[in-house]
Amino acid sequence: MKDIKMNEKKKKSIAQFVDLFDARDEIIKHSSKNLPTYQYPANLLAQELHPDSFSVQLVKIVNETNDIKSFWFTRESKENFPPFLPGSYITLQVEIDGRIYKRAYSISSSSNSLKEYRITVKKAGIVSRYLFSSAKEGNIFLMEGPFGDFHYQSLRDRKEVIFLVGGSFLAGCYPMILDCLENHKIQSLSLIYGTKTVNDILWKKELDDLQKKYKNFHVTYVLSEEKRDDYAFGFISEELILKESYQGKSFFISGPQKMYEHLNPILKSLDVPNELVHHEIFATKPEDLASVKHNLTVHYRDETYTIPCYENETLFTSMEKNRVLLKVCCTVGVCGFCKSKLLSGEVKTDMSGLRHGDITYHFIHPCVTYPLSDIVLEIF
Amino acid sequence: MKKYDAIVIGAGNGGLFSALSLQKNGKKVLLLEKNRQPGGISTSFKKGRFEFDVNEQMLSNYGNLSHPGELYQLFEKFHLNEKVKTIACHDVFHLHVKDTQENFIFPKGQEAFIEQMEKYVPGSKEAMVTFFGLCEDVREAISHYPKEKPSDMDIFYQTYPNFVELAPYKVIPVLEKIHLPKKAIQILSSFWVFFGSFIEDISFIHFALLVDSYVTYGLEMLEYTSYDLSTLIAHEFLALGGEIRYSSCVDEILTSDQKVTGVKVGNEEFSAPYVVADISPAVVYGKMILKENVPSSSCQLSNERILGAREFRVFLGLNQSLEFAPMVHVIVPTLNQKVLHKNQNSIFPDVLMGVVKNNHDSSSILELGGYFFQDRFDRIVKKENYYALKEELASMMIDLWESVTHLSIKPFIEEIAIATPVTFARYTNHPDGTTYGYLAKGYDNLLPRLFTKDKERKISGLYFCGSFGNFLSGFSATYFSGSEVAKEILEEKE
Ligand SMILES: Cc1cc2nc3c(=O)[nH]c(=O)nc-3n(C[C@H](O)[C@H](O)[C@H](O)COP(=O)(O)OP(=O)(O)OC[C@H]3O[C@@H](n4cnc5c(N)ncnc54)[C@H](O)[C@@H]3O)c2cc1C
Ligand code: FES
Repeated sequence: MKDIKMNEKKKKSIAQFVDLFDARDEIIKHSSKNLPTYQYPANLLAQELHPDSFSVQLVKIVNETNDIKSFWFTRESKENFPPFLPGSYITLQVEIDGRIYKRAYSISSSSNSLKEYRITVKKAGIVSRYLFSSAKEGNIFLMEGPFGDFHYQSLRDRKEVIFLVGGSFLAGCYPMILDCLENHKIQSLSLIYGTKTVNDILWKKELDDLQKKYKNFHVTYVLSEEKRDDYAFGFISEELILKESYQGKSFFISGPQKMYEHLNPILKSLDVPNELVHHEIFATKPEDLASVKHNLTVHYRDETYTIPCYENETLFTSMEKNRVLLKVCCTVGVCGFCKSKLLSGEVKTDMSGLRHGDITYHFIHPCVTYPLSDIVLEIF
Repeated sequence: MKKYDAIVIGAGNGGLFSALSLQKNGKKVLLLEKNRQPGGISTSFKKGRFEFDVNEQMLSNYGNLSHPGELYQLFEKFHLNEKVKTIACHDVFHLHVKDTQENFIFPKGQEAFIEQMEKYVPGSKEAMVTFFGLCEDVREAISHYPKEKPSDMDIFYQTYPNFVELAPYKVIPVLEKIHLPKKAIQILSSFWVFFGSFIEDISFIHFALLVDSYVTYGLEMLEYTSYDLSTLIAHEFLALGGEIRYSSCVDEILTSDQKVTGVKVGNEEFSAPYVVADISPAVVYGKMILKENVPSSSCQLSNERILGAREFRVFLGLNQSLEFAPMVHVIVPTLNQKVLHKNQNSIFPDVLMGVVKNNHDSSSILELGGYFFQDRFDRIVKKENYYALKEELASMMIDLWESVTHLSIKPFIEEIAIATPVTFARYTNHPDGTTYGYLAKGYDNLLPRLFTKDKERKISGLYFCGSFGNFLSGFSATYFSGSEVAKEILEEKE
């Protein structure tokens, strides 16, 4: 290669080269000796939007229906809650009989008011029963979040929207509906809302008021166990969806597993493309599981635990019962918090939330994994 | 207290590779990571049927078995290549210039590249040949770079005359010196987008190394995502007996007598004579070391350095294949660097890098990356407008992509995710969420960093790697930084 001369004199070039080392020293010498700043606006904002976990106080309990109650919280620090995208959920940590439980609940209050978060809970199992019977106004809990991916996104979704919702699952959809109507220039929004009886309908008055206020909003109530004039009867049906001239509209679905199983074939037969359908995350519990017992061995750093597990219970549930700590968040196989390595054993699991790299190295989500044999897991 | 030979903080590219190299050489290594999985930003996430890559999904300096780049050779030492699946990109990248509506193709291979440039700018050939010759000189010299200022400069000059001549210079003066026509300089300069620094700030040495490796080996697109590489390296590290702890955010680096003695995670202490930090010096000196033990010159250095570009990324899952080969597309508003420089104050990232990947099920992924320089994003973002601003900027980026490529994508969006500097800040804890470490500028360019790294280590046993390390940012650069740090530690131990 020919030689390039940046300067006439070699001496000057050498001097410049040497200066590369010395200039740095020279510049730094005059710099501040204070401890460096490590928190910049983006770091501070990240903490405000996604605090690690925070204490909340239960300030109000509202009986909504026979088996649904709402719980209002404020932050113990008196700060506002983080802004959230409607449809987000939080996790609530509860200690019952010395065991720690964490459950996900959708934020059911409006994203406009951040003084309080509301969650709306249906009586189901251990945590919800605890909230129903034992939680008192004034109690303090640990909360995490907001999390989630079930949102109206104007860059993706259509301006005409249909919500198909069952029972208590209106909780997370309610702030989404408010947001769509108030902020997203929606052309039309239809809610087809199924409950057992009229008395099981959440926020009937609020929904009816919204219908009056927004001409582009329409609710169809569907009752499965009560026949009434002005209400549809049965489950959310093909006929009801057809009435909404559904083609080209975005669908948001939130309901119990049975509702998805009922709706999926209907949407398929109506040729609704997958990309227009969004549903709240949920875990599919495999059918016909027996309560066969196996052993679960968990390696966690320097500890090893061996506990019983059952074919009809997730590995997470077994660990929770036996006080083996597992970090969870969504508990339905989506967020990846509980990611653990399956060292041996046969399982029935949902892999849809796993990434390619996880699958290659046998990672699973214990929150959606059922054992079929003795299992050995490693949590890192 | 558990004892190790070395503790690595952070399982990003740099941390993973230093842990792997040290463990492979018989050291007992503990790798601590605050997140739930390895990779740092070399990670991915799922949305619907799409798995999006948070980092670039392109390997540079890689090549293939018959034409191995440096990264390929590095991976070979650890038998990783057989487990890395890539697709070769036909061209290095395509450049779209908004104001003139020009498009330029940057082909792979020096000859093709020179020919193509000759087509765009007749008369550029000779200077382009000279340019690649200089690149080789630089590569040769840097592979023998001295650990400190050479003691006899005359001898050093005789061995590496071009290196000494060019090292103090930025890109443009050198390209002018070799008489590359102005238009060709403008076109070639567009490689600046891969640095996260403006062309005026990039040293010729750094530029030559990067352009040479990009052109010589092209870019290899990972079959899946960079998370596959991260899980692979973590797996190999574990297989060698290494220990990883996730959900382990290191709170403190323990030191005594200006020496590292270990780290603290919550109430747990681990001891080791070496700590490799795949995180920023600002965080390390700012809060992880007992105040009175922090060397003042380390504070001065941290305070003087400037953060690299902040990224704004839009991940699009499309329900259609795109009529694009797997490729990097770069969009710049103009080739005029002066105008461009003014634009760095733009509230909207008007320089985009788009990567297209078609999937088997006739869906596709388009990832658009925009850059904010300095604190531009901070100045427009507030808690109250955060989510709305994300959508607004993403929408502008998609519009820009559509207008320049004449391909509509908005109707085909099946999934979308948006990552901002705040997202990266949350995920990495890096200052202001930068993914580019410190800005490569002036006294903080590649060479000054390499030349001063030993001298500037005021706490013995404390090493930095990753984007804040000495090799600057970039996918392969951060792997190298990890491997180099391991080498230094091994040498020092002997
Ligand atoms: C993203 C997300 C958002 C959620 N939002 C809400 C919400 O807004 N309101 C709410 O009430 N719950 C919500 N859940 C469910 C909630 O997290 C708990 O699963 C529920 O409270 C049951 O917990 P548990 O401890 O009481 O019951 P567990 O002891 O865990 O067992 C509950 C039993 O009831 C069944 N079960 C769980 N959830 C339901 C349900 N909703 N209806 C009927 N049976 C059920 C389970 O399959 C199991 O057999 C949400 C879950 C997720 C993943
Ligand atoms: S807790 Fe979310 S995947 Fe298991």
